[in-house]
Amino acid sequence: MADEREDVLEVTVLIEDVDAARLSEKANENAASNYSLNVSLAERDRSTEHLVLSYSMELTSQPPTARFKISGSATLKGTRDEIKEGISAPDSNRPPPILVVIYERIYGTMYLLAGALKVPRPMPNLLKKSS
Amino acid sequence: MIQETGTDLYSGILRFYALNDVRKYMKELLERYQREYDRSSNVIGSLLRAEGGKGMEVIMSKGWAKVGAMFVDVTDPEKGGMELTFQLVTEMRPRIAKTEEVLKTFESVESLPIPTEATFLLYLHGGIPERLVIDTTEPKPEAYVHKGEYATIQ
Repeated sequence: MADEREDVLEVTVLIEDVDAARLSEKANENAASNYSLNVSLAERDRSTEHLVLSYSMELTSQPPTARFKISGSATLKGTRDEIKEGISAPDSNRPPPILVVIYERIYGTMYLLAGALKVPRPMPNLLKKSS
Repeated sequence: MIQETGTDLYSGILRFYALNDVRKYMKELLERYQREYDRSSNVIGSLLRAEGGKGMEVIMSKGWAKVGAMFVDVTDPEKGGMELTFQLVTEMRPRIAKTEEVLKTFESVESLPIPTEATFLLYLHGGIPERLVIDTTEPKPEAYVHKGEYATIQ
């Protein structure tokens, strides 16, 4: 169902599963933080005013001393245009805005887990596509 | 502004991606109307019972005067407010009945040969679902999928 509104896109991110592992005894929380991410977003449900996505993110440190796997759902509520804008990447080298939002929302959890595991904490900055 | 009672009665066109969503929306609409009807009816019922056999005069104000294009009650706010609630309840009955009828007979719409890619435009007039367009010109978007490899910026 859609109607005309002036509101901005509303995003709710839910974490449904978390798996964090310290992969090496040599892991050092003070080492340079360098994580690669494998990301998957898939549509779970859609109406004209909302879109529910399943997300799955796997972060692996380089060198591989730590790994985080987080999955869950993200619900976008807004007009059709707002939703479309939220899931469309501005260009091929940048992630879609919704991915940036999901990463921002789950970042706190990863930060705390990294501290508990004594592994490098992932950076909070925006993501860039790895070459 | 504080809404004392009543419900927003939408007039406009809504698009749905599934016929089941249309049914679900109308069901929620009906439930909302019924909740509001019950609430307002209880207010009037309670007053009539409390006043014991006095009849409709307990909710009919004599303080109405026409001021400009409106009726204004400045002398009997309690009965004036109650009379408005009664009017609201009276107007809600046909709205509920019509929405119920649409829902009860919606199976006949669902049994139509509807193309799988169709979307649906529902026309509501004063909160009542009146017309439905089965739209094959604007199909539901393809399921969204995104996969990628990224890195955090240092």
